[in-house]
Amino acid sequence: MKAKQGVIEILNKILTADLTAINQYFVHAKMCANWGYDRLHHHVKQRSFDEMKDAEELVEHILYLEGVPNLQRMNTVHVGETVPEQFKADLKAEQEMLALLSDGVVHCTKVGDFTTRHMFEDMVKDVDQHIDWIETQMETIKQVGLEIYLAEQIKKDS
Amino acid sequence: MKAKEGVLGYLGRVLTAELTAVHQYLLHAAMCKNWGYQRLHEHFSHLADEEVRHSSGLIDHVLYLDGTPQVEHVDTIAGGSSVAELLEADLRFELEDAELLREAIAHCSKVGDFTTRHLLEHMIIDTEEHIDWFETQLRTIKQVGLALYLAEHIQDGKS
Repeated sequence: MKAKQGVIEILNKILTADLTAINQYFVHAKMCANWGYDRLHHHVKQRSFDEMKDAEELVEHILYLEGVPNLQRMNTVHVGETVPEQFKADLKAEQEMLALLSDGVVHCTKVGDFTTRHMFEDMVKDVDQHIDWIETQMETIKQVGLEIYLAEQIKKDS
Repeated sequence: MKAKEGVLGYLGRVLTAELTAVHQYLLHAAMCKNWGYQRLHEHFSHLADEEVRHSSGLIDHVLYLDGTPQVEHVDTIAGGSSVAELLEADLRFELEDAELLREAIAHCSKVGDFTTRHLLEHMIIDTEEHIDWFETQLRTIKQVGLALYLAEHIQDGKS
């Protein structure tokens, strides 16, 4: 299948953002584990794995469209030194991802690539959910205070 | 825990190599799937998972040693236009990786960091197994020819 104009470029841009996100979440998860916040560790690690599945799907789709996937490039990984800083960095990454995906959906509609658009739309749903989760955490910290929030993260969800 | 001299440097280099491997195997797995070689696809996916596990252990250990894991860079990802080219590129990569691990293990012995040495020794076992697997594939291709080899990799490994 030959790709419509501009689609491969967008797919590669999203792939780069995705590969960056995998590593950012992975490091954040590990830092939470190191600090003893087991519950956060598991949540953020799962997110990293989800991004990995997206990356796999993107690479396969680029090849399916006879393009060359770029696994070389990564953006800046923003590592937060504290849990709230991690949330801030992750929220920013997700918002950037949302912007990329939204542009992708618009472009695919314009050139008539509805398969790729469908894939982007599925990804947007995940991004939205994740933004919502991060915003909830930040709001909870505001309401109950950081100490109480963190104390609740020591135990793993059973 | 504070790291002994030079250990974090080696761990950083090994981590970059592992992250490079994750990307490279992810790419090669997808390429094999695209070509219809399901069995090779599964093996490359398995290799990628193993390298993720290595990266995971390394990041944990860097943090444990109060270091900052660098996950922003990967070395050059080798592609290829055929299965044989992929296998050759991967063999070269694993050989370099093993060399780096040997150097790092020797350094850990010298400075007396036996925990890191132990971690790296586990990794080099996997790396040498990968080397052996790639060598076997390339030798088989030489013995039976590429076409027969590829035909055997269309089905997944389960049936």
